Amino acid sequence: MSRVCVITGASQGIGRAAAIRMAAEPDISHLILVARNGEGLEETKRMIGATKAKVESIAMDLSDLDAIPELVKGIHERHGSIDLLLNIAGYAEPKSLLDTTDENIRTTYAVNVFSMLAMIREAVRYMRGRPGKILNVASTAATTSRPGWIAYASSKAAVVSLSQTLADELAGTGIKVYVVSPGRCATELRQKLAPEEDPNTIMQPSQVAEVIASLLRGGENTLDGQNIIVRQQS
Amino acid sequence: MSIGMVLLAGGVGKRMGKPAPKQFLLLGGKPLIIHVAEAISGIDSIGEIVVTCPAEHIDDTAALLRNHGLDRRIRCVAGGASRQESVQLGLAALSACDTVIIHEAVRPLVSSADFQALIADAAPNAFYGIQIPFTVLRGRGKVEGILDRDELVNVQLPQKFAYAPLVKAHAEAAAAGESYTEDASLFYARGAGEVKILKGSERNLKITHPSDLITAEALYADWRGGGG
Ligand SMILES: NC(=O)c1ccc[n+]([C@@H]2O[C@H](COP(=O)([O-])OP(=O)(O)OC[C@H]3O[C@@H](n4cnc5c(N)ncnc54)[C@H](OP(=O)(O)O)[C@@H]3O)[C@@H](O)[C@H]2O)c1
Repeated sequence: MSRVCVITGASQGIGRAAAIRMAAEPDISHLILVARNGEGLEETKRMIGATKAKVESIAMDLSDLDAIPELVKGIHERHGSIDLLLNIAGYAEPKSLLDTTDENIRTTYAVNVFSMLAMIREAVRYMRGRPGKILNVASTAATTSRPGWIAYASSKAAVVSLSQTLADELAGTGIKVYVVSPGRCATELRQKLAPEEDPNTIMQPSQVAEVIASLLRGGENTLDGQNIIVRQQS
Repeated sequence: MSIGMVLLAGGVGKRMGKPAPKQFLLLGGKPLIIHVAEAISGIDSIGEIVVTCPAEHIDDTAALLRNHGLDRRIRCVAGGASRQESVQLGLAALSACDTVIIHEAVRPLVSSADFQALIADAAPNAFYGIQIPFTVLRGRGKVEGILDRDELVNVQLPQKFAYAPLVKAHAEAAAAGESYTEDASLFYARGAGEVKILKGSERNLKITHPSDLITAEALYADWRGGGG
């Protein structure tokens, strides 16, 4: 069996690591990488290197929800299927409550929640009837109090909730919904959240990618619908 | 007695290794400088407050204070190339007053009571100090001398000085090309007057290294939720 895999947020960080890792899976025939930064996507492509998978990069702003139906339709037309959807794109702008602007709230929710839901809705149109998998990246911030991260943490709580709900709602369609919640991981987003932290001392994106790849393998069919915490115990 | 205050937020974090000025780092979800501004907000005896910050952050800092409703009496001005110069610029930006309080945004765990006790103390010049709980030796590469830690003090802020002598001491130090890491040293070295040491607290931590913020989070959580 060959599978078509769509990854959002693949221009850097965890999404890039997931793209590199997924390219090494033997049954991935097509990889579609989505994020705004086209150069970052090309760099991810270069880092993937030689692979039998066909890699397409699509530079677009996922907060433009109106563009998502066309995006997904186009992917399906060009690649013939959508089997795996990895919603990894994320945005954070840590601020105290009084400094959290409407724009911050809107962007955070547009990228982290609304675009994810729209991607899932559109992808499911094409995935139904096939053994597809959707994997959403939430955060440990979804379930613990994070003063100063109100927009981000609450948006990630929504990701956990929508993932668990859809795991149930889509049960019986052949589509499994997974949600992973990384702890602190050395990426640009984490630097925004914890500017004073030394990235060498925390979990690396490849470690999260390893877990993602294992969940998306055909044989795994028991961990969907659960908030899976991925963190390095040091 | 008229009281002014200089709040130092001027250092673009040199030791933190990151470009974001430290006063904007969050502690318990609030920027460091907001913690200090909250601690002084109810102290009406302080008439005028000057915040010194990097020139490129004057607008952000002022907007932040305004947004938190803490901009009353506060003006932001550009700091200098060194801490000493920032204090001097801050003093110059204040209207002349009898007494000036000096504090820094990177000591966010200061309490309102700390400021009030400092102001209420009869000594015209005073600061908070704590004991040094470890051994300090003199030496560069090899031991060159022993210091008696009972004679040493860990200098904290806030500090309080008579305004005119401090301004004069700064001018003299600048003219002589002397540099000091804080104002009690400068005041003492220039013979500007006696400086009293009040008993400070371990909690009044200075956020210098990344690990200090982690410690401060724990202290803050304990302080806020303490008791019981
Ligand atoms: N790092 C951590 O500690 C941590 C912990 C828990 C959860 N997470 C989650 O992990 C996921 C990946 O984040 P990361 O840590 O790898 O951070 P990152 O390096 O900042 O990556 C974020 C990715 O999201 C993409 N993105 C952001 N806004 C977008 C938009 N409007 N349209 C399209 N793509 C957009 C970015 O691409 P462009 O900028 O090119 O658009 C980038 O590829 C996020 O969902 C994050 O919340 C991270």
